[in-house]
Amino acid sequence: MLPVNLLSANLVRLPHAFRKSAALLSRRRLLWASRCDSDRCWELPKSSPVREYVEVLAVIGLLTVGAAFAPLNHLAVGHVYLLAVILLCMRVGPGPVLFAAISSALAWNYFFIPPRFSFQLLDYDDGMLLGIYFAVAIIAGQLTARIRLQERHERRQQRQATALYQLTHAFAGGQELDEALGAAVYQAEELFGARVAMLVARNDGALSLHPAGSFPLGKPEREIAVWVRDHQRTAGRNTDAYPEWAALFVPMTWAGLTSGVLAIEIPEGAIAPDRDQCALIETFATQIAMLVEREQLRAAAEREKLLAESDRLHRTLFDSVSHELKTPLAILRSAGEQMGTTNEAKRIQLTAEVRLATKRLDHLVANLLNQTRLESGTLKPALDWCDVRDLIHAGRWLVGDALVGRSLVAEIPADMPLLLADAPLMEQVIANLLHNAAVHTPADQPIVVTTGLREHGGRNQIFIKITDRGPGLAPELMANLFHKFCRGRSTRPGGLGLGLSIVRGFVHAQSGEVVAENNPEGGASFCVCLPHTTHGSVPNDDC
Amino acid sequence: MTADPARFKLLVIDDEIQIRRLLRLTLEEAGYGVREADSGQRGLAECRREIPDAIILDLGLPDLAGIEVLARLRTESAVPVLVLSIFGQEGSKIAALDAGADDYLTKPFSGGELLARLRALLRRVKPAVSTNTFNFGSIEVDFTRRHVAKKGIPVKLTTMEYALLQLFIAHRDKALTHRQMLRELWGPKAEEHTHYLRTYMLRLRRKLEDQVDNPKFFQTESGIGYRFVSEPRDATA
Repeated sequence: MLPVNLLSANLVRLPHAFRKSAALLSRRRLLWASRCDSDRCWELPKSSPVREYVEVLAVIGLLTVGAAFAPLNHLAVGHVYLLAVILLCMRVGPGPVLFAAISSALAWNYFFIPPRFSFQLLDYDDGMLLGIYFAVAIIAGQLTARIRLQERHERRQQRQATALYQLTHAFAGGQELDEALGAAVYQAEELFGARVAMLVARNDGALSLHPAGSFPLGKPEREIAVWVRDHQRTAGRNTDAYPEWAALFVPMTWAGLTSGVLAIEIPEGAIAPDRDQCALIETFATQIAMLVEREQLRAAAEREKLLAESDRLHRTLFDSVSHELKTPLAILRSAGEQMGTTNEAKRIQLTAEVRLATKRLDHLVANLLNQTRLESGTLKPALDWCDVRDLIHAGRWLVGDALVGRSLVAEIPADMPLLLADAPLMEQVIANLLHNAAVHTPADQPIVVTTGLREHGGRNQIFIKITDRGPGLAPELMANLFHKFCRGRSTRPGGLGLGLSIVRGFVHAQSGEVVAENNPEGGASFCVCLPHTTHGSVPNDDC
Repeated sequence: MTADPARFKLLVIDDEIQIRRLLRLTLEEAGYGVREADSGQRGLAECRREIPDAIILDLGLPDLAGIEVLARLRTESAVPVLVLSIFGQEGSKIAALDAGADDYLTKPFSGGELLARLRALLRRVKPAVSTNTFNFGSIEVDFTRRHVAKKGIPVKLTTMEYALLQLFIAHRDKALTHRQMLRELWGPKAEEHTHYLRTYMLRLRRKLEDQVDNPKFFQTESGIGYRFVSEPRDATA
């Protein structure tokens, strides 16, 4: 199956820059076409033989007239003729060269070799000279023609190699498959000097036209393309199928799979491509198919990798959630079974265990629910004026037992302004940060909460900074600190690693930011910043 | 100051049988009489059959929304209602309080907390002991003289601060929503101006609380409003 629907969905939005480069390309193609048409895959019958013969005749004629007036002996004139014939080899085909050799030999004999104005030869030497001249002209002409042919062939091969290289390059450039196919179409147009259309096979089996091509396809052409795709055979001009058509249809096939069809227009009156040229077109098409296949394999591998990654995440989540849920449940169950004991001391201990397990469950469920709220996108903060003292107080209360016996210092300026926030969310943020500080730092070290108003990046911010005197944050942890399921190295057993992810989610939801850093004097600090807004005036009363 | 619970009959409306059983256990042990209903409709019917002294109403009932039950109840009686909600439903709590609920508790809650709330609710229907003075902690309020003292030292309150204190004492141990307080103190147009409240609450706390950052009496109900706790338990710190 060929999942090309992906790219066909993208077909429409071909980048603008691409169209521009296409326009440039087509201009280049025009320039090139006017300079050396004969390099193209097939020739337009521009330099017709008749014109070449006339050209030869004109050159020989002019030379004859010119030599007639020049004070040269017939030997020198012979050399001039020879030079002209060799020069003509550079311009015209083998037929006209032969014609040049014969006509110049006749003209030389008639006009210059004594007796002049007659084809008669006076002596054996002159006959010998004429014979050698004729042979040299023919050989030189054929040699030059062969060199030219060779050169033309090499140039064509070089162009083909370049085109194939660029094709590979386009696919390797890391661009979207769709863009790469567009580049391939333009290269085909340049290489073949003709309008090209590319039909790409979609997932559902239909062929869709790539917008990069300039060869418009009608319904009959599309039907031929479908035939080509189904039979994996070339059709069109000079082939077994649809030979009357003014286009060539080549399947893009690799490893038995056809990823599309390349249609190349053969301009009106152009000479149809020969076997070599057809082979080149087919190579080109195969190359595209191969690259498409590779691209699709790469995409499939990428998907596979993503799936494996999400699978791993799922498993981690499942493992830790089930562990976190089952531990307190096991405690509750076991404590419940032993509740009937008559030993009062044991009962008090069991009650304490039940209470602790319940709190742990409560904390876990709250975290999971908060994370779900964040991820489901249903979190809509209700911003209202809050007193930061209330938020810190509530945050402390939410943490509960973990803070018992710890010194928590709140440094709140007396003129601390109100802040616009969602109180329950901010309380959870502060609670999670306090909880982290309490859990990761020694119990005899204080936790300090500093708040205030500051300027940052030209804007006023309310900040709430929670500083601990613990071991600080490990450098390798920094990058993923706020990602879910990220847990510290030395973390005690338990915990899902959701706390900081919730902090960041909740703070972002309120248009704020949270930054973590290690303090120069040791320990870590988390700073939550929210944009500062001034509230309206408050009615005063002073009696 | 605790009321004699034996006199009070409670109605529990909750669809979870385990919650009902546990509530019954807690409440009966505290001396209350308990009736149960497992749906909103049955709860309303029970209420019509015999009006209880207080209702514990779960907001997440299968047949009728808790708010709906509350609205229908309120057309018939002013019986005190304590609503139970779950985590993260601040909106529905506020709606319930504004619709006439007297207080709320968030599941999971402790039995002690439930009993404390119930006592506060039922105290309102009890005849007032004294209307001239009110004491809480080391604070003395004399309504006739409009005089407030802390540890015997007079505290000067502005008109609005005094009105705020009066409002709290009138609704002591009960959650008050921002809307209710703003409407009461500054009129219906000020209902959205939470910053009035925040500002005056800070002033009141500064004058009456021992620790502004850790208030004992004037507590903030996150996202909902305030609650005046007249007899704070010392354990809460």
